[in-house]
Amino acid sequence: MSHIDAVTRILFEEFATAEIRFFYVIGYAAIAVFFYGVYVQVRKYRRGAALRLDGSPWARVLDMVGSVLSHRTIARRDTGAGAAHRLIFYGFVLLFLGTSTITLQYDILDPLFGIRFWQGDFYLVFSLVLDMAGVMLIGGLLYMMARRGWMKLPKLDYARPDRVPGDPDFERPQYRREDWAFLWMLIIIGVTGYILEAARLVWLQDRPLVWQTRWWSPVGAELAEALRTAGLSAATAGTLRHGLWWFHGLIALALIALIPWTKVKHIFTAAASLLVRDPLAAQRLPRIPESQAEPGVAKITDFTWKQLLNLDACTKCGRCHEACPARAVGAPLSPRDVILSLREFANAALEKNVLPDAVELGVHGKAPGQVTMETLWSCRTCMACVEICPVAVEHIPIIVQMRRKLVEEGSMEPLLQKTLQTIHKTGNSFGESRRKRGAWSKALPFAVKDARKEAVDVLWFVGDYASFDPRNQSVTQIFATLLHEAGVDFGILFDGESNAGNDVRRVGEEGLYEVLAEANISALHQAKFNSVVTTDPHSFNTIRNEYPDFGGKFEIQHYTTLLRQLFDKGRLRMARKLDYRVTFHDPCHLGRFNKGYEAPRELLALLGCELVEMGRSRANSFCCGAGGGRIWIPDPVGSEKPAQNRMREAAAIDGLEVYVVSCPKDLTMFEDALKTTGNEGKFVVKELIELVREAVSHELVPA
Amino acid sequence: MKILVAVKQVAALDEDFVIGADGRDVDAEFLIRDLNEWDDFSLEEAVRIKEAAADPVEVVVVSIGPEEADEVLRKCLAKGADRAVRIWDEAVAGSDPIAIARILAAVARQEAPDMLLAGVQSSDHGFASTGIATAGFLGWPHGAVVASLAYTSGEKSAVFRRELEGGLLHQVTIQCPAVLTIQAGINTPRYASLRSIKQAAAKPIDVRNLADVGISAHEVGEQGSLSHVRRMYIPDKGHAQLIEGSAAEQAKRLAGIIRAFKGEA
Repeated sequence: MSHIDAVTRILFEEFATAEIRFFYVIGYAAIAVFFYGVYVQVRKYRRGAALRLDGSPWARVLDMVGSVLSHRTIARRDTGAGAAHRLIFYGFVLLFLGTSTITLQYDILDPLFGIRFWQGDFYLVFSLVLDMAGVMLIGGLLYMMARRGWMKLPKLDYARPDRVPGDPDFERPQYRREDWAFLWMLIIIGVTGYILEAARLVWLQDRPLVWQTRWWSPVGAELAEALRTAGLSAATAGTLRHGLWWFHGLIALALIALIPWTKVKHIFTAAASLLVRDPLAAQRLPRIPESQAEPGVAKITDFTWKQLLNLDACTKCGRCHEACPARAVGAPLSPRDVILSLREFANAALEKNVLPDAVELGVHGKAPGQVTMETLWSCRTCMACVEICPVAVEHIPIIVQMRRKLVEEGSMEPLLQKTLQTIHKTGNSFGESRRKRGAWSKALPFAVKDARKEAVDVLWFVGDYASFDPRNQSVTQIFATLLHEAGVDFGILFDGESNAGNDVRRVGEEGLYEVLAEANISALHQAKFNSVVTTDPHSFNTIRNEYPDFGGKFEIQHYTTLLRQLFDKGRLRMARKLDYRVTFHDPCHLGRFNKGYEAPRELLALLGCELVEMGRSRANSFCCGAGGGRIWIPDPVGSEKPAQNRMREAAAIDGLEVYVVSCPKDLTMFEDALKTTGNEGKFVVKELIELVREAVSHELVPA
Repeated sequence: MKILVAVKQVAALDEDFVIGADGRDVDAEFLIRDLNEWDDFSLEEAVRIKEAAADPVEVVVVSIGPEEADEVLRKCLAKGADRAVRIWDEAVAGSDPIAIARILAAVARQEAPDMLLAGVQSSDHGFASTGIATAGFLGWPHGAVVASLAYTSGEKSAVFRRELEGGLLHQVTIQCPAVLTIQAGINTPRYASLRSIKQAAAKPIDVRNLADVGISAHEVGEQGSLSHVRRMYIPDKGHAQLIEGSAAEQAKRLAGIIRAFKGEA
């Protein structure tokens, strides 16, 4: 054995036996507190409703590990926080694993099998790696401190839009204290680790084996030099080392004990939440189980264990708070605060040894921890929150399930109630006669086939807005003309079609949704066709993602991909290039929900338009405000509407000529917002279909 | 304690309707059926009395109509009615409101409620007489066009306010059992979720025929009615038309019309 092989770290040198025993007692106690905490948390989740996860567990594990190791979800829209967290994460993991290898040898392998590996080259590399890990940890933590202390990011402000100053849970200063305590605790562990290392080196400077290899711990060695220069003697260093050893050790053990009881738990809950992620959480809402007597969520225990876990995964990063269109216009909703409120409620009610009575478990209301109906009705179900959440919190199903309870008890806007009754009675939200659904086709110079009577290649599911809204009817007629001219064999269901139900479901009227979905599925089954197309992203989403749960499996595409194919096949040909300067608004249900980002952009490029993207585009597109049934609920007078907020964003684009939409509701919302924001005359709102028509038509179309 | 609520399935016109072959009603294919708007309010009033009561209150809805009227009864069950009764017999077809009231009175005698609530009128035929005529057959006191009601289950009398012309209100005390016809707007009817309607579909509807309520066929239908619908029709539209264009064009067009009218053109 060369002398280098003998090098290792001293452990309990000069510790009295009683002291060592005391340390072990504290260590085991910390671990016991940790495991008891884990038990309490798991018991909390198990008090939620049952849920079976589908899909392959291995795929889940791979996806979760990939997300955690790459930090891809944390780095999105905040690269600084992503990089800093990556440093903290890898620093912490290395330090934790490193420290664990000491236990592995000292407490397990050596006493049981006489195996010693923690020495020689391994030890030296270990020292270097851990020294670097400490730098990473402290560096990351310093950035996070700067972020909280100096950058004053609005998304880290815990003031809530759904409470007013003076409410006990308005600002929640305890969260700020916890954030800082966590940062300081970690940084103190890191810094004391280095001082401890330096003190040990100074103390043992006369041992050549220690002193000669000190540069394998470069930070510690540098610090040791500084301490020696400052006049620290070996003996004093020994005393310092002894004291710091205890300080460092006790804080580290305290951290372990605190994990399940504080925000530190996110190291487990965030990973677990990613593990149980549902990639279609917002796109395909859950059915109400047959066994469930009352629809929706009334009590905290009505949430599934997975949803309770979601609540605990939240790290208050504020990405959803920032992305939420309701929050952006001052509505009393922040997705973050819905989650935090419910979490506070769950912690207060479900961490108790005895489950409180049902009356104490109601989550609807204005008390701390409860969620108000104004908050729930503010949601547009646009999925911006679910999409950006780095830890896979699924806000939308939580909100919709709470709405189901509100719908059941009739706690909703009178206008919404009336619309739901209208849809039940007439099958459409306009209260028009079923017979009029296909009336727009009468104005066309060719007959539109009735797909119920003759087989067609493409069945066009038109949807309510495209069928009944006068402005959208003209777009509908243009699309029919394009299909006709491109020689597409298509037909519609006429009065056999009902409202697709996408928004009815997101309102929380599940019973009506079932009626609509079943009616449409049965109508579609009676028709003969190869595939479905729709110009309505809302219908597109529910037929694509939700009808399969009701026995309706259809191949469906949004019109943007169909038009793209028609150009590719040469069935639509350009007559003229459109040299407009345009911007494109991604509809929530086409973009975020179904990743249909490319086809509309490819079409715009094909038409010759110059596309200038808005700051919020693609996955971060800003909802027009009509989703989740909000199109049937009047916005409060005097406050900004999401569509107006969006119009102002578009108006900032220099020389913008056309604001392009590809959703009937968007056309309605934005044409209105164009006027109310005073941008009329500066640029126009157009359906992409209208631009295509302009480009392929041989007759001159006025712009 | 029991409240009987008389409800009707009314018809609204669909787009482009046509009059049926007999010329006395709209072709049934063009009718959209629903619960009469006023009855929604009277049911809500009954359910609120029930919910506010200390002792058990039974809310029974009764409708006179064919099987399709079950749909509105289910809606009532979904909104909180405890029991639904439907009376039908082929002979009932063609009844005027008085004949219908005769049947309702018979049901009320069987059920012996403490209060009978009906809508002021129906939104399709608008006779506004069924409820009041029922009170007449029963010999019960009645109040029409009730805009607010204070009634506690078990009390021998109720206090209500009824709407008069010119924004006046009548405050009235009435002895029970009584018949009240409820005005729209007295409350905010609750929402019946589709789920509750579906669940109500499983509840039985007590279907009775005329014999069950002790009425003979000649007391109802055309035979038992003193008024008869002769025909239903769309009156000819007026001949007014808007003449557009410049003053000169309008004048020229007007002169042409006058000439045509005089037979000169």
